Amino acid sequence: MRLAVKKALVTGGRQGIGRGIVEAFLKEGATVATCGRGPQPDGLPEGVSWYSVDVADAAQVNELAQSLGAIDILVNNAGVQVEKTVVDSTDADWDLVIGANCRGVFNMCRAFIPKMTKGASIINIGSISGKVSDPSMALYNASKSFVHGLTRSIAVDHGPDIRCNAICPGWIETGMLEAGFELSNDPAAARKDALARHATGRFGQPADIAAMAVWLASDEAGFATGQLFTIDGGMTAASPINTGLF
Amino acid sequence: MTRILEGKTALVTGGRGGIGRAIVSRFLREGATVYAADLTPQGSLAAHDDDGSVFIKLDVTQEGDAIAAMDQVLADQGKLDILVNAAGIEIEKTIEDTTLEEWNKSFAVNCTGTFLTSKYALPLMRASAQSGNSASIINFGSYDGFIADPGLAAYCATKGAVHALTRAMACDHGPEGIRVNAICPGYIDTPMLQSFFNGDGSGGGGGDIESLQQAVRDVHPMRTYGTPDDIANLVNWLASDEARYASGQLWVLDGGLSAQVQQMKI
Repeated sequence: MRLAVKKALVTGGRQGIGRGIVEAFLKEGATVATCGRGPQPDGLPEGVSWYSVDVADAAQVNELAQSLGAIDILVNNAGVQVEKTVVDSTDADWDLVIGANCRGVFNMCRAFIPKMTKGASIINIGSISGKVSDPSMALYNASKSFVHGLTRSIAVDHGPDIRCNAICPGWIETGMLEAGFELSNDPAAARKDALARHATGRFGQPADIAAMAVWLASDEAGFATGQLFTIDGGMTAASPINTGLF
Repeated sequence: MTRILEGKTALVTGGRGGIGRAIVSRFLREGATVYAADLTPQGSLAAHDDDGSVFIKLDVTQEGDAIAAMDQVLADQGKLDILVNAAGIEIEKTIEDTTLEEWNKSFAVNCTGTFLTSKYALPLMRASAQSGNSASIINFGSYDGFIADPGLAAYCATKGAVHALTRAMACDHGPEGIRVNAICPGYIDTPMLQSFFNGDGSGGGGGDIESLQQAVRDVHPMRTYGTPDDIANLVNWLASDEARYASGQLWVLDGGLSAQVQQMKI
């Protein structure tokens, strides 16, 4: 078990990628806590502690750090997306996206870094959208670039005691992806088109991201820091011009 | 209006081809003395207009040709301020379909050509830098050196190699006053692109060439592909003294194509 005796905190473990990481960490022997807005969700695996915390709220985050104490692994996974251009985005959209995706990661790192053990690992969930842009996702794309920049800063400032890396997922099969296809005029055609742009011939699963998170959290990754690791089934390795689909 | 390349001497390989010809013509308008080096006076285009450049017959894969070309420039001008390595070829195949001969030819033109021309240009460019000029080498990479188009394996690989060579040359020759950059074009309207639209590599999905061209335009944030003049505009700036602090960089010019993620048809 690669994470035996390690204590981990994963933000946003209610569902999707966060839940996948919580489950993978448990399997590798870690003690796992997770948090999110609202009450403990049904079906959270046994032994996982739930904290009702909004990462955008510094006071709540500081309180969480007080009660949890020293940790070995911090995964900043909690995030939201708003599907709008800059012109359509409201102040409330800004507060929501930047609050969770930027301020949330900042709040967590500021509160937990002083409490992290030597050899600890921070894993931020960035996105391929922080490197190349998804249309009509302006604030989300920008918020993920912020996460990438902060990842490098933390690695530089807090090494050698703490390592910090980001995972940049592509299209992962979560409720969010299904909802996107359902909005399409022809969900089956949309799914087929999107699949054709993946060299692996499939979308990602939360477990694909969790597998990288386990490695980055483990001591095997002792020389990995300050990097952005893309896991997208080869999608961003290919040009957006895919003439076979025209 | 001041001409920003007044008094400079430039050599452009592939200088009678699609992008090369636009660069030559821009350099001439900016006051440079220009040598257009190519396999033939027509290059990859059908005809040659007498543009005022000096034609040098150059096969970039031949060391003797590179030496002879630089000897001629040295005898005429005594120095070289600007070298543009624009000669290139594209084989539209996967690695499985690419013959060893095609693979070697891709590297010979796109990589070895850049190496040989630059190698023998360096003494002339050093002479330029020593007399206080800003000597500039501009290589041709490609956005395909960062992300891949299907069925262009050898081409993508050669362009990735040119990117790394560009940084290495900038590192080695910067202290001598020679700047080295690469332009990384996306889809530019050249004979090479037309061949891609006509060729097996274009996929096509059964449509005609015009619908394929329109589909390619539509994927670009700028809703068009580029022209050789778009590339010449940046080459001109990199060649000029205004760019005196620009070195070792890969300059992507693709209408925003590679700034976006795959455009799913949702």
